[in-house]
Amino acid sequence: MPSFNRRSFLQLGLGVTVLGAVGCSPAKPAAQKADSRTFTIYWNAGHGYRAYKDVIDQFGKDHDLQMNWQKFQWPDLTTKLTADFRSGNVPDLVEEVSAGTGTQYGLAGNVLALDEFAAADKEFGFPGDFLDQAVVARQYEGKTYSIPLHLTANGLLFYNKQMLSAAGFDKPPASWDEFLEVAKATTKDKVSGCALNSDPSYAAPYYSQQKVDFSNVGAKQFMMPADGALQAMQWMQDLIYTHKVSPAPVATTDYSGPQKLFSARRAAMFVSGPWDIGPIRQGSPDLDLGLAVPLTGAVQSAAMAGAGLMIPAKAKDPKLSWELITKLAAVKVELAATKEAGMSMPRKSWAADPAVAADPNLATIAKALAVVAKQDVALSASGKAAQINELWKKAYQQMIIQHAPVGQTLDDFRKQAGAAL
Amino acid sequence: MIRRRQALTAWLFLTPAVLFFALLFFVPIGNQLLTGAYGSDGVSFVGLGNFTRAFADPEVLHSFLITLAYAAGTLVVGTAVGLGLAVILNQSLRGRTLFRSVLLIPYLTSVSIIGLLWRNILDPQVGILNRLLEAVGLPGQTWLSTHPLATIVGITVWSGAGYTMVLFLAGLQGIPGLYYEAARIDGAGPWRRFFAITLPLLAPTTLFVSIIGLISTLQQFALPYIVTGGGPGNATSLYAHRLFIVAFNDNDFGYASALSVLLLIVVLILSLAQLRIGERTDA
Repeated sequence: MPSFNRRSFLQLGLGVTVLGAVGCSPAKPAAQKADSRTFTIYWNAGHGYRAYKDVIDQFGKDHDLQMNWQKFQWPDLTTKLTADFRSGNVPDLVEEVSAGTGTQYGLAGNVLALDEFAAADKEFGFPGDFLDQAVVARQYEGKTYSIPLHLTANGLLFYNKQMLSAAGFDKPPASWDEFLEVAKATTKDKVSGCALNSDPSYAAPYYSQQKVDFSNVGAKQFMMPADGALQAMQWMQDLIYTHKVSPAPVATTDYSGPQKLFSARRAAMFVSGPWDIGPIRQGSPDLDLGLAVPLTGAVQSAAMAGAGLMIPAKAKDPKLSWELITKLAAVKVELAATKEAGMSMPRKSWAADPAVAADPNLATIAKALAVVAKQDVALSASGKAAQINELWKKAYQQMIIQHAPVGQTLDDFRKQAGAAL
Repeated sequence: MIRRRQALTAWLFLTPAVLFFALLFFVPIGNQLLTGAYGSDGVSFVGLGNFTRAFADPEVLHSFLITLAYAAGTLVVGTAVGLGLAVILNQSLRGRTLFRSVLLIPYLTSVSIIGLLWRNILDPQVGILNRLLEAVGLPGQTWLSTHPLATIVGITVWSGAGYTMVLFLAGLQGIPGLYYEAARIDGAGPWRRFFAITLPLLAPTTLFVSIIGLISTLQQFALPYIVTGGGPGNATSLYAHRLFIVAFNDNDFGYASALSVLLLIVVLILSLAQLRIGERTDA
């Protein structure tokens, strides 16, 4: 039997390693395409519609690309993207969280201005075929940092027709007083008249209905005028703690709590946007869903919402990314996504399509879009939007979930947000 | 000559570990220190500015204090529960192997699953816990709204109890049965035997459990992030969550790096203090 010493063990180890690396490495299959590349897309998990999947799959086939379509919840998408920008290893195309996010990243040099691509691609019809409000919110100092994918309004009133009817109402509420009256009448044993959201962005329709602007970066002001802000937030808080017509929302990163309560027939009404139509249809197909225009407080108002598409500055092939944008934001794809999920879109030609014009829900959404409050584009451009939104989240949850005094909490928020600027 | 060859051999075997630690531990720490000396733009040098800023930042101080409260609650309750379970399951009970295995399952489960599971269980409207309470005539609770931090402590204790139990079981099985025999002959009851024999002889295990627990609780991020997102308000925004917000929300990696270095220092100090206490008490 041969004797082994330290040296022979080392030699043996080296030999095995070399053999493993050379001899045991997988052979390259002849069928594998040598030039197959990967194209990475970051997308919102709730927007993974079949209409988009079909486009993405076809795009991969046409260009011999391995399509890596990654879907995240919004906060996780933001985290991943921030880390990617930091490391320089970025995806090829990204769904923008909301109007203004692209501007924020663009001004920091992380995403491309898309005007030159659009100018060279007349057939795509940007910006001419897109509604102004969706375009302007994505522009700063003459540059456009993202292309609108969806154009929606947060402020639509979702209601259970059967519940309202049983409580003696043959039409949905239109004003705050009527809303409260219906909410009281429909609140019963295990059913709430309405459901508020733990996500602070869902407060926007309420305060904009009292003519309150979230920010005025030029004047370094937030939630002004103060009396309107106090009235709006106090009214929301009273729905839970004084009138007891809404449960206190649960603090979570998930924004779908009210929709789930509504789908489970535990709430008669809630305020949201078109993105909740699809889940309600799917989860509770027999629920008699009513969709109504935004409420009127001092004014009738909704908050503009909707995602966009942006190209990271270090994307491998921006021209290719642009090509996919034009395919995803084409009218026929918009119509397919609308048919599939009830989502509303930013193109004028989409709105003019007979299928859209004839849809009662989409007609309601169009009315909401007509009353969306103006956005402060300077907030995104300040680079402090995320920080200030985090402060607002804290203040909102303190008022709505923890029952903190509204006036004091709003004052604290204004001071902190002003200091952050 | 022999010593030189021995040293060479030692270095040969140590090199992979040294390289591993250098590349994956010390270099990142050095990088964090360096990054912590720069402003939010990543270019302007601010020296110790980010470190001093942390001491005047009310959000950071708040997160640090609630992290200490969370760590203390988790350590005290978690150690007591783990020890209690270990003592019970150290007896010759029927089915004890099954109970031990079942209790270890939460520890082996991904924190994401645990977070989502408890988020659903605790939901005041549709969660199963309130349904169970209602079924026995008790009022439903808003666990995550009225006592968010205590609820997070409870979930942490639940998920870690099995692991703590296993550690204590190992410690218990190292105590010679002779001691208990002698105590019984002297007339000591179960409580007396527990406080006079079990607890003192488990001191090394208790020290180990508390150090490991402290280090992990001070760095806790995923559970509150998944269950409450740091809310309501900032009631469960633990230090690591605040650090995450500063880095990925505020995009201020300089300040976030400084906060992470401060956390490292705090963990080191507390761990060394625990070790010193352990030495003094002969644990």
